[in-house]
Order: sequence, then C-alpha cells, then structure tokens
Amino acid sequence: MTGPFSLHNWQAWFSDWSYFAEGFLRTVYISLLGLFFTLIIGLIVGMLLCGRNRVVISICKGYMSFFQNTPLVIQIFIYYNVLPKLGIRLGIVVLGVMGLALYTGAYAADIVRSAIRAVPTGQMEAAGSQGFTYLQAMYHVVLPQAVKIGLPPMTNQAVNLIKNSSVLAVIAGGELMYCADSWSGSNLIYGPTFVMTGVLYLCICLPISLLARRLEKRSTRNV
Amino acid sequence: MRKLLSFVLVLALALVAFLPALAEDSADVAAIKERGKLLVGVKADVPNFGFQDLGGEFEGLEIDLAHKLAEVILGDANAVAFTPVTAKTRGPLLDTGELDLVIATFTIKPDRLLQYEFSKPYFIDAIGLLVTKESGIKSFADLAGKTIGVAQSATTKDALQAAADKAGMTVSFAEFPAYPDIKAALGAGRVDCFSVDKSILNGYVDDTTEILPDSFSPQPYGIAVKKGNTGLLAVVDDTIAAMRADGSLDTLVAGWTLPAVDWAVVDEMSVTLWEAAAALAANPTDTPAPTTK
Repeated sequence: MTGPFSLHNWQAWFSDWSYFAEGFLRTVYISLLGLFFTLIIGLIVGMLLCGRNRVVISICKGYMSFFQNTPLVIQIFIYYNVLPKLGIRLGIVVLGVMGLALYTGAYAADIVRSAIRAVPTGQMEAAGSQGFTYLQAMYHVVLPQAVKIGLPPMTNQAVNLIKNSSVLAVIAGGELMYCADSWSGSNLIYGPTFVMTGVLYLCICLPISLLARRLEKRSTRNV
Repeated sequence: MRKLLSFVLVLALALVAFLPALAEDSADVAAIKERGKLLVGVKADVPNFGFQDLGGEFEGLEIDLAHKLAEVILGDANAVAFTPVTAKTRGPLLDTGELDLVIATFTIKPDRLLQYEFSKPYFIDAIGLLVTKESGIKSFADLAGKTIGVAQSATTKDALQAAADKAGMTVSFAEFPAYPDIKAALGAGRVDCFSVDKSILNGYVDDTTEILPDSFSPQPYGIAVKKGNTGLLAVVDDTIAAMRADGSLDTLVAGWTLPAVDWAVVDEMSVTLWEAAAALAANPTDTPAPTTK
C-alpha cells in the first residue's frame, strides 16, 4: 500500500517513537510550569480587579486587553526576537512558560474576578464584622467559595494553554509540535506523524476536559 | 539500390515522426491534457528560483521549467497555473491531486524517494554558512558548541551534522518554518549561524553579515510528482534530459545568475540516491532519526 498512510510510514513513525516522547515530555513540562504561573497571575490580577484602587484596576485592565487581543504567536515572536535586542535573552523553556502564562493569565484573571464577584457581598461584610482584615476575609471566606465557581472555566483555560504550547514550534521550541514538523519535514512522512501528534495532545487534554465537566456538574449540583 | 535506400530512409523518418504520436498517453498525462492546464506548486519567497513579485507574477528558474513542461505536455507554455507552496504543504497537495508537479527547491533524499516520485536533479547547490560579522566566527570549526539555524524540511541539518561528526565537534540545530525567521533569529543572536543552500543564502547577506568560505555537500533539487504517476515522471525526466543535452538548462541557470551545474557530479549523486532509496525500501526501520536539539 502506498500513500501518506502506508504501512511503511507507520513503521517508520513507531521506530522513532523516542524522538516524539522527548517532545511530548517537553510539552507536558512547559505546560505544567505555564499553568502554575497562570494561576498565580490570574489570582493576583483577579483580586486586584476586585479592589478599589482605580489606577491599579486600569493597569490590570490594560494588561488583559493587550494580551487577550493580540495573537499569542506574535507575543512569542517578540519575546524571541525583540527582547534580545534590549539585552534580555531568555532560554526557550523560560520564554515559553512566560509567554503562555502571560497570555493565559489574562483570561485566568477574568475568571478569578467573576468568581470572586459571584460570592455574595454579604460574605465579605460578615467576615469584616467579625474582625477579619480584607486579606484574611479573602483567604478564609471568599476564595474557598470562589474556587468552586472558578474551577471549571479555569480547567478549560488549562486545556487551551496545553494546545497553545504548540505555537512554540515557530521559534524552535523543541516541544511536540516542533518534533512533528521537524521529523515529517525531513522525510515527508506526514500521515502518521500528525495523526499521532494529535493523539498525544488528546492524551493530555481529554482527561482534563473530562475533569472539568465533572467539576462543573458538581458545582451546579451544590448551588 | 539508391531507390531502396531512400525508401528505407523515408520509412525510418516516418516512423520516428509518428512514434511519439502512436505512443499512448499514460492516465496521469491524459488527465492533464483533458484539463488543459498544468498545475504546479512553486516557492513564492526564494529569489531566482520561485519568487512572486508585488504584481503577483511568478519568476525564477523553477517558473521557467514549469513553462517549458507545459509547452512539452500541452503545447502551450502559458497553460500553467502556479500555486505557492511551503515545505509543509507541498507534499499533501501532491497526494490530494491538487497539484501535478512540485518544483520548489525540493531536495532529493533517499527517504523522500519512498514518499514521492522525483525527477533527476535539474540543479545542485552547495550548503553555505551565514554569520554576523561581530560574532568573530571565521570558519565552520568556530561553530563548535554553537547553534545553527536551518529551515524545516531542508536537508541542511543532515549534511552539517555529518560534517560536524567528521570533524569531531558538536553543534546543535534550531529549525524554523521559513528563511526570514532564521534571519531574524540570527539578528537577535538566537542562533549563531544561518545555513541553507548558497544560492538562497546570497539573498540574505547584508552589511552586518557575511558568508563563510566553507561549503558542504551539494543538495540536488528535483521535480516531485505523486507516487505512482510514472507516466508524468517520464515526461519530466525526458524534458530535463533534453534541456541538459541542448544546453538550454545551463542557459536558464546562468540567466538567473545561479552557479553553473557540474552534471557529472549530478549523475554520480543520482545513482547513489536512488540506490540508497532502494535499500531503504527493503528495510523501513533504518530511517535515521533526526537529532534532537
């Protein structure tokens, strides 16, 4: 059998599986770190948005508007090619994690803000009347309730982040998509390559999506 | 006797004249004739090979080849439709039948010969190295431990890796989707060297960069057709052979200010390539894995 999906092509792909395994692990690694920093950015910016300082709020809104309304690929390209001209040379993993976290963080902040807003204001007032400071009330009373509301949409952002990590292929990121491009570009075996690359992304993203669906069900049941 | 001789001569001439007409067109060539247009995938961003100007017109050595093939197959040099292709699209577009031919600085490699039919080479070019002047890199040896930027789907990496192994030095590679991306990465100091075939590299030299004197194994360019379209392949191969024989291919190459081709090297290389492909077909798991960066 000939054609892009011939038996020979499948054999060739599977004989080089370790090359793709390396890219897969790099994707997982970058995604996990990216997710960690996304949550931190999302939490900080989201909480600041719920505060009263107008200057801080406009700065946060500016950050979100910029990162939500420019393509990730351009942001990454700028970090890669323009920052070095300003004397800042980041390694590819650091750059990837930072790029993904700043981009996804802009969406995460929105989620955190609306989750906090969704907690009835009476909760905050009640905590205040018991002598909690603003931060104490946030940490002990508001955030635990907000997490339940914000977790399902946040999980969707995690899936987006993992898929978006494929953008790093354009700057020789060495992750899964880059491996697929490089390998198939060299020997022109694109059939099995992109099917299996898709399957590998599915392996990471599908469990998270299913988890999100379950969390969503649980949170609506409790309301 | 004389009459007989002239009769035989006339008969022979008639045969020669009619033989091509008698030969049946293969299905793939017949399909092109029925359509009345030759569909060719070309590069749009490689000066002197396949380049689309601001007016949308294509020009270059590979464009001229496409016109010549349209003339041979359809009798009309302008019965050709160009589609710009990238390294990622040129293969699939052949498989889906949206293109008849791909003439797009496509390097022939043994493992690629298992995926598509390739014509014999119409051009050959050595690999060159472009570095920034301020880097102080003066030769290939200075690149030990450095990163070389190459294009995805180019054979540059394999050739340079082999040269580095031979010299006992380690180099790493970063692959990019397009040549301008590599140039940008060189300018930003992301890679220490931009490497691709010399005639392409010439288009990227500026005041701050220079091409090193080193040259590496020549890369043969071939015209690709879908696997199994051997009728079309034969026409393409015959046309290239004829253009080599009458010197028109050399004239075209010189006309695009490209370095003259040493056809003896090309023929020798072709034999090696097709033999290696046959060996690979017998044992698919031998496909060498690319080196990770």
